[in-house]
Amino acid sequence: MSIDTGWSCLGPSGTGPRPASRRDFLRRAGGGFGLLALASLLDRDGLLAADATGSPSSPRTQPLDSRSPHFTPRARRVIFLFMSGGPSHVDLFDPKPELIRLAGQPIPESFGTFKTRRNVARNHLLPPLRPFHAHGQSGMEVSDFLPHLAEHVDDLCLLRGCHGDSVTHPESVYLMNTGSILMGRGSLGAWASYGLGTENQNLPAFVVLPDPGGWPKGGAPAWGHGFLPATCQGTLLRGGDSPMLDLNRPPGVSAEQQRATVDFVNALNREHLRSGEFNPELGARIAAYELAFRMQSHAPEVIDLARESPATRRLYGLDRQVTAEFGTRCLLARRLVEAGVRFVQVYCGDTHGWDGHSRMEENHSRLCAQSDLPIAGLLKDLKARGLLDSTLVIWGGEFGRMPMSEGSDGRDHNPHGFSMWLAGGGVKGGQTLGATDAVGLRAAEDKAHVHDIHATILHLLGFDHERLTFRHNSRDERLTDVAGKVIGRVLA
Amino acid sequence: MEESRVRVHARFARARIAPGMVRVIQLRLEFALAVKRPQTLRRCQALLAVCGLMALTSPCLGAPMAPSHWAFVAPARVEPPAVRDTSWSRNPIDPFILASMEASGLAPATAATREQLIRRATFGLLGLPPTAEERDAFVHDRSSGAYERLIDRLLASPHYGERWARHWLDLVRYAETDGFEHDALRPHAWRFRDYVIKSFNEDKPYDRFVREQIAGDEMWPHEPDAVTATAFHLLGPDMVDSADPVQRRLNTLNDATDTTASVFLGLTFGCARCHHHKFEPLTQQDYFAMQAFFAPAVFQREMPIPTAFEQAAHDRGMERYRTGAAATQKSLHELEAAYRDKLHAERLARLSPDARLAHQTPKEKRTTEQEGTVAETAPMMRFTDSELARSMSVEDQARRTRLLEALKKVPKPLPLPMTMALQNKSGPPPRTFVLARGDFNHPEEEMRPGFPAVLAGRGLEPAAQAESQGSRIQRLAAHQPRTALAHWIASTENPLTARVMVNRIWQHHFGRGLVSTPSDFGTRGAVPTHPELLDWLAREFVARAWSVKAMHKLILLSSTYQQSSHASSETLARDPDNRLFSRQNRRRLEGEAVRDSLLAISGRLNRHKGGPGVSPPIPADLARSSKSWTTSTDLAHHTRRSIYILARRNLRFPFLEVFDAPDSNLSCPERGSSTTAPQALTLLNSDEAMEAARAAARRLLHEAPTAETRVALAFRLVLGRRPTAQEQGMVGDFLKSSSRRSSEVPAPNSEIRAADSGVTEAAWAELCRALFNLNAFVYVD
Repeated sequence: MSIDTGWSCLGPSGTGPRPASRRDFLRRAGGGFGLLALASLLDRDGLLAADATGSPSSPRTQPLDSRSPHFTPRARRVIFLFMSGGPSHVDLFDPKPELIRLAGQPIPESFGTFKTRRNVARNHLLPPLRPFHAHGQSGMEVSDFLPHLAEHVDDLCLLRGCHGDSVTHPESVYLMNTGSILMGRGSLGAWASYGLGTENQNLPAFVVLPDPGGWPKGGAPAWGHGFLPATCQGTLLRGGDSPMLDLNRPPGVSAEQQRATVDFVNALNREHLRSGEFNPELGARIAAYELAFRMQSHAPEVIDLARESPATRRLYGLDRQVTAEFGTRCLLARRLVEAGVRFVQVYCGDTHGWDGHSRMEENHSRLCAQSDLPIAGLLKDLKARGLLDSTLVIWGGEFGRMPMSEGSDGRDHNPHGFSMWLAGGGVKGGQTLGATDAVGLRAAEDKAHVHDIHATILHLLGFDHERLTFRHNSRDERLTDVAGKVIGRVLA
Repeated sequence: MEESRVRVHARFARARIAPGMVRVIQLRLEFALAVKRPQTLRRCQALLAVCGLMALTSPCLGAPMAPSHWAFVAPARVEPPAVRDTSWSRNPIDPFILASMEASGLAPATAATREQLIRRATFGLLGLPPTAEERDAFVHDRSSGAYERLIDRLLASPHYGERWARHWLDLVRYAETDGFEHDALRPHAWRFRDYVIKSFNEDKPYDRFVREQIAGDEMWPHEPDAVTATAFHLLGPDMVDSADPVQRRLNTLNDATDTTASVFLGLTFGCARCHHHKFEPLTQQDYFAMQAFFAPAVFQREMPIPTAFEQAAHDRGMERYRTGAAATQKSLHELEAAYRDKLHAERLARLSPDARLAHQTPKEKRTTEQEGTVAETAPMMRFTDSELARSMSVEDQARRTRLLEALKKVPKPLPLPMTMALQNKSGPPPRTFVLARGDFNHPEEEMRPGFPAVLAGRGLEPAAQAESQGSRIQRLAAHQPRTALAHWIASTENPLTARVMVNRIWQHHFGRGLVSTPSDFGTRGAVPTHPELLDWLAREFVARAWSVKAMHKLILLSSTYQQSSHASSETLARDPDNRLFSRQNRRRLEGEAVRDSLLAISGRLNRHKGGPGVSPPIPADLARSSKSWTTSTDLAHHTRRSIYILARRNLRFPFLEVFDAPDSNLSCPERGSSTTAPQALTLLNSDEAMEAARAAARRLLHEAPTAETRVALAFRLVLGRRPTAQEQGMVGDFLKSSSRRSSEVPAPNSEIRAADSGVTEAAWAELCRALFNLNAFVYVD
């Protein structure tokens, strides 16, 4: 039997625009690629296919099958390293001599008024915590906080003119992940799995590796599906013996018994199928049990790092206490994309993460020590395996930090200007795009709003962000809402 | 009516013509109405008619007019059509369905078997499986009226409300936390859930149900249920610590406007917030005119709702308490005053400047916005007892402890019940403006409360009613604007309200509505498959005093509902999508029904009703990393029905989530019904499934004497039918091999019983676990 319905299949009443009839459907399908994608989904699921014979054995394939986007993609998969809490651009990626010169003074009046979270606008300016140096052939300036990443600057496309819409964590976490400061829209990873499907039918299309210390502020909706089909949402994966929810057989049940029970379930289901009734769900369910059983053996295999060479383990810092945890998740991310997962999001920083309202020095020293080596290792490893050309790596948090101080040694949230970087599939490395003003308060040149960054990411994955739509409540929803412009200079 | 038409033109013109000009005409019209000067009135009418005409003849301005869209016209008075096969129909629904089948040359599916019927109806109305006894009794009851008695029994069950409230809670984006960063608990939100359950169980007329949710506080301020109903508008996500209280209030107003339009009217209004709706005849003016009904409302997160009796008892108790505690309290107050002031000042400093100003303004001088801001930021101003204690010197702390001990000894009445609700502030309401691109920094023309022009054109505008019914309603519109909105929506004249609700009822009995886009009856929504039936049902609903239970009974007693889900190959060829309802749709159980079934079948369902949400265990590592799940210590809570599980925005209950439970941030008119590997993993491996399997196994051993009867009981409990001979054989083999394996590896805590059959308890548990994983369990035929 060729039915195989795995990680995602829209049921007869998916949350999406379910057609009342095929004609009705095709009429509406003119509206956007999303609907065409859905058409193929439903078609594969046999839901659109009028099965004249009623035979349940007509060929159907995976609804989240690997699919082609609008145009040839430059990146086939994504690793999004999310720096939860908001890392400081002026201390890591955006050197500001003026900030050193004006240190200890209030920001000049000429900068006007701006929103802050904690009323820090009139506080004195705080100079960068570490010196910056030029690296690589490109001479990109990076702070001494990041000695390992500095070796890879020629692979990075640094965006120094990023900006968002809110001074609060959850709104900014939602904006960066879902394109809206409000709760409940589909996340970037969900859009990618909706548009692209998965390359590996034994694994989900979108996997999230949260920080074991806690979720980002705003929680699970950051990897939610919103109005997209529920199966597009991020699947949480952990290290250890129980990487996925309910992956392991119940305690007290032997492996042999588990296989026997699954076989018995499938035999009874097939018996029902043989009764000749038209029952399209039944085939899908049998396939789901087969897949579930394969996952029980496959997923632990993917996350089993024992087979990695000592050299690789060192590359990610698995041999050092300070880097071992985050390094493990970076290595997992590589194994997952290698195994065909489309979108992996790795969170760095617990619920507070990079949120240095006070003692920035301690906060950023600790988090850079945890993440710098593993991230450099990830880039190096991807490159060595020939994966970097087709894997887009994104680094960034929900916002940056203010040039002035909070208390004596902290910095408040800054959505008005901050840095992110992209590397890998389709990205032109060794370049710095955009700039903030003299002190790093606001994006000033070649500004890139979060919508623009999303448009660019979708472009690299082969999508026109204006055509990747999903009809919800009569509106063709997009990740980029009504905005977004592809940043052309990012592209290689 | 003449005047109302003028009003319509005025509203329509306002949407398209220079606002200033319309305003002048409007003022004159109001003046004329006020002094009842017919000449002026007529002149204004003429002017406005011209404006209206201009609007109609200038299609490039504003949104397109679609007055003839079917859903905006009152349901037609229709009779059931004539059909060739006169023996099939049981009630007036059937000829409508049969006629379209006959027109396509199709015959209905055969009737469902009795065991299919009782399973279908019991899940449909209660969300639970029939017990083995109920099933057997019905299957063997061949007397006439047995099926009708079954439906009556189910409709009278208190579990009915729990089932149908769930459908409503999906629509109203119900959750018990705020979402965003802190996802703080809303300790009174559950009262809304219980209100909905109670309303369905009492068969509250739907028009009353609508009125309560829109304006219960205005219309029945002394009825706790009606006041609680207005929490409808506050159930969405809310960023309590927003840096921007104006934007925060606007978010709630937008959410209330959108959800009201979508749930009650099936209108997708949200697009009109930023621009005239591209596809619907709804303008931005329509949007903000609708929003203006909500402008005077203060969003109360904690409002006392005592009955008169509770209040009186509480007052007496408090009086006694005050007398008894007066002296101690005075000393305590003096001791704490300085510390409290300090904490208050600290809290105040953390608020945005707007919010700070609102708190510092004396209560009687606050504007409505400020009142709202104060109510909404109140949680941020609070400090806990221990925070207060920590701020004190060691000596004062000790003194305080002694005083508190003394206070504790004075008997105190229980706190009054609280709810979330809307409450109007007296005085002039804040003004509502059209906001360019929905941005409050760009207000344009001012809007007064009003209904969408395209619908008000049906003579339903509040002003029109007001004028025809005199000054009483005019006063009402001024002081109780939501009452005017509620009356308009719940009016028998409103072309959408009854249609939208009967369609939802139909949707849940057939898996698809007559309109397949249940919250979108606009021009982009689906066209009804059976428009005459929809109109007939809508009128019948009104004629039967908006009784939801009457509609259930009507639908469930039809031959259409009682069809088998099995279709002939000819039917499948000609009606592949079942648009003709030429058979019943086979449907997957919702997550709640799956979990509740596991509990019921294994004999562990705790049928306790109502009260604050409960927290059954979730996988430990998920609880750890989300940091937001505190498992209920009372084990009895772990087996409550799923509707009572604490609905957290930032952490959906995993078992329900995997079966497509909606995220509670947007109104969800129709759930997904996917088939996925994670569902298989949940039913195979989760604690919920395994515990149910083991408990069900014990039940089999206890309730049936032989292997054969145990197998039969297992099938009846889990699948609602007896096993076939073929299945008997397969089960026998499975039990034998599983017993062999389990005697090699004994399951923990399970006593191996060779008993009469040589089948171990672990093997029975494996059988139950396998049955839970069958398609036939998670689907209803």
